Amino acid sequence: MLEAADFTAFTLTLKLAGVSTLILLCLGTPLAWWLSQTRTRGKSVVEALIALPLVLPPTVLGFYLLLALSPTGPIGSTLNSLGLPSLAFSFAGLVLGSVIYSLPFVVQPLQTSFVAVGRRPLEVAATLGAGPLDRFLNIVLPMSKLGYLTAIVLGFAHTMGEFGVVLMIGGNIPGQTQVLSIAIYDHVEALEYSQAHWLAGLLLLFSFLVLLAVYTLNKRASFLSGARP
Amino acid sequence: MIDVDLSLNKAEFSLKAQFQLPESGVTGIFGQSGGGKTTLLRAIAGLEPGAVGSLRVNGRCWQSESIFLPAENRHIGLVFQEPSLFSHLDVRANLVFGSSRGKGRNGNRKAHQAADLDHICETLELGSLLHRDPCSLSGGEQQRVAIGRALMASPVMLMMDEPLSALDYRARRTLMPFLEKTFQELEIPVLYVSHSTEEVARLADHLVLMEEGRVTAIGSIGEVLGRVDSPLNEVDEAFSVFNCTVNNHDLPHLTSLISRGGEVLHIPRVDINTALPVRLRIRARDVSLCLQRPQQSSILNVLPAQIVDISRQIRQGSRSIKLNVGGETLLARVSEYSVQLLQLAPGQQVFAQIKSVALMT
Repeated sequence: MLEAADFTAFTLTLKLAGVSTLILLCLGTPLAWWLSQTRTRGKSVVEALIALPLVLPPTVLGFYLLLALSPTGPIGSTLNSLGLPSLAFSFAGLVLGSVIYSLPFVVQPLQTSFVAVGRRPLEVAATLGAGPLDRFLNIVLPMSKLGYLTAIVLGFAHTMGEFGVVLMIGGNIPGQTQVLSIAIYDHVEALEYSQAHWLAGLLLLFSFLVLLAVYTLNKRASFLSGARP
Repeated sequence: MIDVDLSLNKAEFSLKAQFQLPESGVTGIFGQSGGGKTTLLRAIAGLEPGAVGSLRVNGRCWQSESIFLPAENRHIGLVFQEPSLFSHLDVRANLVFGSSRGKGRNGNRKAHQAADLDHICETLELGSLLHRDPCSLSGGEQQRVAIGRALMASPVMLMMDEPLSALDYRARRTLMPFLEKTFQELEIPVLYVSHSTEEVARLADHLVLMEEGRVTAIGSIGEVLGRVDSPLNEVDEAFSVFNCTVNNHDLPHLTSLISRGGEVLHIPRVDINTALPVRLRIRARDVSLCLQRPQQSSILNVLPAQIVDISRQIRQGSRSIKLNVGGETLLARVSEYSVQLLQLAPGQQVFAQIKSVALMT
């Protein structure tokens, strides 16, 4: 059966995915909006940078992050000189890694749905007296509901399943950085197949239920808004 | 007074428009597609950031070298070719979107809004649609909501960009009376962009002709249409507008009209009450001239007329001739050969045969 440490790993994973998704939405919204509106040449560079985690092995990303977070790395030394604790092998470090790792999964659906809103509704809203923030909050956001739903699910699920980055920068500290995927790995290494079964099964069921809920909602939402994708 | 002096350079197109318009009435902006009408409208609305020059409306500066008032502060109502309703809001929420943001009014805004909503719903017959989803409406209904939404914001000017051209023939016919009714009630100026002579002839009081980004003629509709050198002749679109009243329905299958100058015209029977004013649109190419009243002709409408002016230019072998028919202007398109043969000259008395007229009710 499951031990207390396994439950801790489970709640830690949920917490990591939740916090990372929240931060990703706050970061991803302005970034995706800028990408959907700008025509500067730098746009392609930014898009390519954001998409990097899609193709890079997570260990590569984790390796560079580890270097940056180490006491001699740029982030580590800055934090050190400010008298702040190091991020390596900490929950905050994991959040930072997850945010970078899952960024494309949040930015891309948001960008697509912002582009799909088009210029016309915004122009109409402007002639009706709505300023830029008003237009974003009352036209763009409600018209991008499905984009946000997709972004939240993908960002959350992708963070839940992360392994390589966590292993590189977080290590395996129970209650702090030991997430589900690593706990499963540990159990398998120790030949504790029964616990590995339970955890893997739990993760499988949870992921399936989340996706099922999303697709059900998605279907209803697209039906309500006139069957737009 | 609306004082426009705007120019805009795009990759394959440049707009340069300088003109003045009165503070009331409907101004038709007419020209072929790609002539810059829409760009001009967008520039006036503040939706073309690249537009430079100056723009003053009712004494207020909207744009100058140092000022560019953003669209949201110009208080204009703009109706696009496609209704562009907000798909996430129902009809009522679409209608009040602008009025709940209006800054022009003080006092009890809620009460104003309710009164405006009632009034606009009545004029545009939107009452039964208020709680519907925009995408469940027909094209004509959507456009009516779009017009209502623009008016609800209490704009200082209403602009329409080909509001009927995305609709099918039937929807256009149904929407036209709504436009006429709306324009009659409005005290604000209306800019109406169209490439349809019918819409312009029916709705406009003033006319701006545009071609390749330039204004080629401007004035009251009678003035602009009555010019023998009007750019409309070049595209064979010249026409005149005849104001008449319904006289009687005495003849079988016909309705008889009486023009302001007292001339009688006949059109195929229409069910309109007598004594009501109607407008006729008569294309110049449907008008021919005779020196004597033709006998035993199948053409219904033959009116005595005096030649006022003959165009100097010959387009496709024809000249435009401006006629005076009992005080009203009528344009005719006559071949150069006939002009020479009949020795037509200003001042001459002739008879105008009108092959067809279009009634605009």
